[in-house]
Amino acid sequence: MSSASAAHAGAPARAVYDDRIVTAFTAASIVWALLGMAAGVYVAAELVVPQLGFDVPWLSFGRLRTVHTTLVLFGFGISALIGTSFYSVQRTSHVPLFAPRLAWFVFYAWQAAIVLGGWSLLAGWNGGKEYAELEWPFDVAIAVVWISYAVVFFGTVARRTMAPIYISNWFYGALIIVVAMLHVVNNLELPVSIGKSYSLFPGAQDAIVQWWYGHNAVGFLLTGGFLGMLYYFLPKQAEQPIWSYRLSIVAFWAFVYTYIWAGPHHLHYNAIPAWVQSLGVVMSLILLAPSWATMINGVMTVSNAWRKLRTDPALKFIVLALAFYGLATFEGPMLAIRSVNVMSHFTEWTIGHVHSGALGWNALITFGTFYYLVPRLAGRPLASTRLANVHFWLALVGTMLYVISMWGAGISQGLLWLTLDDLGEVRYSFVEVMRAMQPYYLIRLLGGLLFLVGTTLMAVNLARTFRGVRTVRSLAPEPVAVAARAASA
Amino acid sequence: MEYGFSVGQLGRVLFKPKAVFAEIAEHDVSAPAVFFGCAIWLGLFPPLFAYVGTMLFGWRLGVAPLFLPASTVLAVSAAYFALLLAGFLSTAFVARWMAATYGADVSLGRSLALITLVGAPLMVGSLAHLYPDAYLNVVVLVPALIWSMYLLYRGVPVALKTDPSRGMLMASSLIAYLLVAWVSLLGITVVLWSRGVGPRIIT
Repeated sequence: MSSASAAHAGAPARAVYDDRIVTAFTAASIVWALLGMAAGVYVAAELVVPQLGFDVPWLSFGRLRTVHTTLVLFGFGISALIGTSFYSVQRTSHVPLFAPRLAWFVFYAWQAAIVLGGWSLLAGWNGGKEYAELEWPFDVAIAVVWISYAVVFFGTVARRTMAPIYISNWFYGALIIVVAMLHVVNNLELPVSIGKSYSLFPGAQDAIVQWWYGHNAVGFLLTGGFLGMLYYFLPKQAEQPIWSYRLSIVAFWAFVYTYIWAGPHHLHYNAIPAWVQSLGVVMSLILLAPSWATMINGVMTVSNAWRKLRTDPALKFIVLALAFYGLATFEGPMLAIRSVNVMSHFTEWTIGHVHSGALGWNALITFGTFYYLVPRLAGRPLASTRLANVHFWLALVGTMLYVISMWGAGISQGLLWLTLDDLGEVRYSFVEVMRAMQPYYLIRLLGGLLFLVGTTLMAVNLARTFRGVRTVRSLAPEPVAVAARAASA
Repeated sequence: MEYGFSVGQLGRVLFKPKAVFAEIAEHDVSAPAVFFGCAIWLGLFPPLFAYVGTMLFGWRLGVAPLFLPASTVLAVSAAYFALLLAGFLSTAFVARWMAATYGADVSLGRSLALITLVGAPLMVGSLAHLYPDAYLNVVVLVPALIWSMYLLYRGVPVALKTDPSRGMLMASSLIAYLLVAWVSLLGITVVLWSRGVGPRIIT
């Protein structure tokens, strides 16, 4: 119900927030998390028992791996980001969503794009660009949906009844603008059939554009977007203001300025100019400062709210997410240094680094947010705090096993690859090195499995919390003129 | 009265950690006493086992065993020992630094005793280094690592005398420090390695 219709019916002039769509995105995000993580566990199992491919193309590692990344990034991650941004932008702007029907279009179109896109990847359509594998029809569809999302989000911000734009909206806004830019530019391609296209960029330029896209997807989506989530939901959960709001603003601008240059560190020792590589290294190292400033801001906010931990399982996830955020944002710049990258690149260490961020930071911060959000959307307490605590330990142990096993695997691979024989030739074949990875792959599988079990417990817990109820109707505060707010501030 | 925390109590540390945590909290614990009485001896286990195992069986990383000259094995083991002690000490100093934020005890002795105790399962698990096979070491050390993490979360609030909720926050912050320290070590190793300071392998 819009504010206009509420006023028309003679009710107090307080608008109702559009929260049903938040519930829909949350539910979709959890379903994609389960499917995407299950696909990840399956491909991890294939590396231990290759026969699990059964010589069926749809079950091959090459296809399932892209399904895994697409479902967790686009399905789980982005659904969570859109849903939580819709929830928080209304409450920080004190107005319901702008163009709510367009918001529902975003929901259905996004889910359809993932279902059909995932299917196309299984069927073997693949654009060949990492994290941008979907073919051109999906690229066009995603661009349309994303622009619609931008209209809803920025339309809501523009209609706000308070002068400041809260920090979470800056991060969500940066996510929307930069991802639109990255997606469009990286997917400039010439279609040759319905399922095949070729990039407009030639050779090394294509690689530079791809990693400008790839690293900034990590930056503005997996880091910036989720920081938007952190900056709204952490203070709400902690019932404390952010430790330093000024630090959050400084970190935002430093983060935005620095991240965009860091992509070339994915292309060390490749056929791109050395100065471009060096620029990538320098900017990656500088990036540590805004990243850790944010971590400190988060840790100090939580440390003042420790009493909440006794009753609130959600806050634990956020605490741990900040710890892994600290690790991932330290490890990233370190891996960007050439003399580290020369050994680490192409090894499992990179996979471990990605997952210390993806599991430890992105998934945990989202889980913490869902444990806060779903009881409020349902209007009743979480079905089981005990189950949430079990989930916490499974997530912690699962992530640790994953990260540490991949460190071991990466170092072993590096050692074996760099071992030369008397003639100066590489001593060990690819197959021999792969065989040596077995213990680490087994532990990684165990870690992933524990993580998936934890996510399943969360899904059950949240479904029980929501069973038999509808999304609670929340009212916006009394409208106050922007000028009056600004004057009082 | 000063608390006599020594390596002789390893059995109690492993099987009755709660009692030892409580004793740490109740008594004055001297950092040098813990360091020289316990940490230094526990820290000796992994490099000693690694030296013996590597000399006898070579590194077994899933390919034919890799043997190293005795001098290289000695240097690697000595570096391992030094880094373990640096790890104990630095984590204890970090814990003391964090203590004010989390309302915990600021005694360096208690922090060092706690960290040493937390590391005990891993030090004992390093018996697996006697046969430096990757599979065996992973299978033994992973449960030991989980045990150590459990001890950290259980031990911080008791040994450092803070509220369990604040202890949980502090333990998570220490996990963050340990992960960053660990990955830094990997990074430093790789930089040295790529500059030619690395093990010479006899194939």
